[in-house]
Amino acid sequence: MAEKINIDVLTLDSVQCAACGYMMESIAALPSDVQEMITYTEWSIKNPDGIGKFMELKGKVLPTICIERDLVFESIIPQYEELIDEMAARAPSEAMSERIKSLREVGFEFDKLQENLAKAGAGMATRVDSKVK
Amino acid sequence: MAKQMLIDAYRGKRTAKAPWVPYAGVHCAFLIDEPADKMLKDPELLAKGVVNAAKRYKADGIPLVFDLSVEANSVGCDLKWWDDNVPSVQTHPCSSQTPAQAGLKLPDKDSGRWPVLFEAARIAKPQLDDLDCAMMGLFCGPLTLASHLAGVRIFTDVYKNPEFAKEVCDFAGKIGDLAAGLYAEMGCDIIAIVDPVASQIKSETFKKFVAPQCQDAIKTIHAADKTSSFFICGDCTKVMKDVCTLGTHGFAIDEQLNMNFIRDMAREHNIGFGGNLKLTLALSLGLLSPREDAIVSLAAGGQHGYTFAPG
Repeated sequence: MAEKINIDVLTLDSVQCAACGYMMESIAALPSDVQEMITYTEWSIKNPDGIGKFMELKGKVLPTICIERDLVFESIIPQYEELIDEMAARAPSEAMSERIKSLREVGFEFDKLQENLAKAGAGMATRVDSKVK
Repeated sequence: MAKQMLIDAYRGKRTAKAPWVPYAGVHCAFLIDEPADKMLKDPELLAKGVVNAAKRYKADGIPLVFDLSVEANSVGCDLKWWDDNVPSVQTHPCSSQTPAQAGLKLPDKDSGRWPVLFEAARIAKPQLDDLDCAMMGLFCGPLTLASHLAGVRIFTDVYKNPEFAKEVCDFAGKIGDLAAGLYAEMGCDIIAIVDPVASQIKSETFKKFVAPQCQDAIKTIHAADKTSSFFICGDCTKVMKDVCTLGTHGFAIDEQLNMNFIRDMAREHNIGFGGNLKLTLALSLGLLSPREDAIVSLAAGGQHGYTFAPG
């Protein structure tokens, strides 16, 4: 699938800050069918890239989940269904929107959590000289 | 350094000046040129790091450790260790079952890393007393610990499966009560419930899944004649009234809240409050002058129940 829904998670640091960690986990624990349709990145404001993204998206609080550049969950860890609904509302096509909505009853999955977090660079760019890949 | 002044401020009393607490955490390891993971596993290094940081920063109080994985690890959550950060919880034993179904047992002082903390406290406490610096015990609050146990699903379960969520949060509250008792036994002067994710929920959720689960721990702290606090992070505006009425002697917040607002909330409820030197904007990134930021915090906080601290 060429088109994906882009998710940016603005954090202090998902290792040090539990709220940031569970914001990241709320995306990383989405079921594998949803994972195929999304791409996501942690932006820790401990490094210049993260500060740049925070400014670019006009972030106000940490942590925040941005879906397709919209500040959607600001200092509130979302419920599974809320995430599904907000992603479906911003899907690039009707077909993807319907496919996401069809997964509303599946719920979080934890078997690939660490793999998914690593893919998003969670906890890997928390120094002042870190670069977000 | 002035331990009693800090205790007075934490209890909402007037003080001659604002006492100061650096939440040094794994920065203690950096200061003694050791990796964070090595220090946290070694009681002698941990004590050395904490005492060194207390001296360097002329602290009126300092946490023995600032690591919210201790309680989760003591009931079986696996950790990922970092050389420049606190450990992170890797596995959630209650992601598909209750604590009882998962066979989780309440920890004791020999579980997990508690023996390391007891030994570190034994070494550090007399040295901190000599410095007139309070030793602080910080333990993981019920909702953050419930998140460690069940994973992020807990934030959905509080609405969709409240019985499951309550079972996990109640179990987390019992572990917190036990941790409070252990920190009292170590000789900590101030014991704080640290529940960062409690800022990420609505007030109604706080009332059901955080406040009741803190009560036993608060009783334990007060029964031991210790001073209590509740530490919360992030934009916790929506639950601040609940924090103020929780029953602790005070609370501490981070850089995302306005200190004038917080001071007025604390004064209204006659409790202590702490914060909020900007950890990221000033101390980490240098985008603001830490000196000027400190002056702003000190001016807003005043000398009535206020503790100057990073936020």
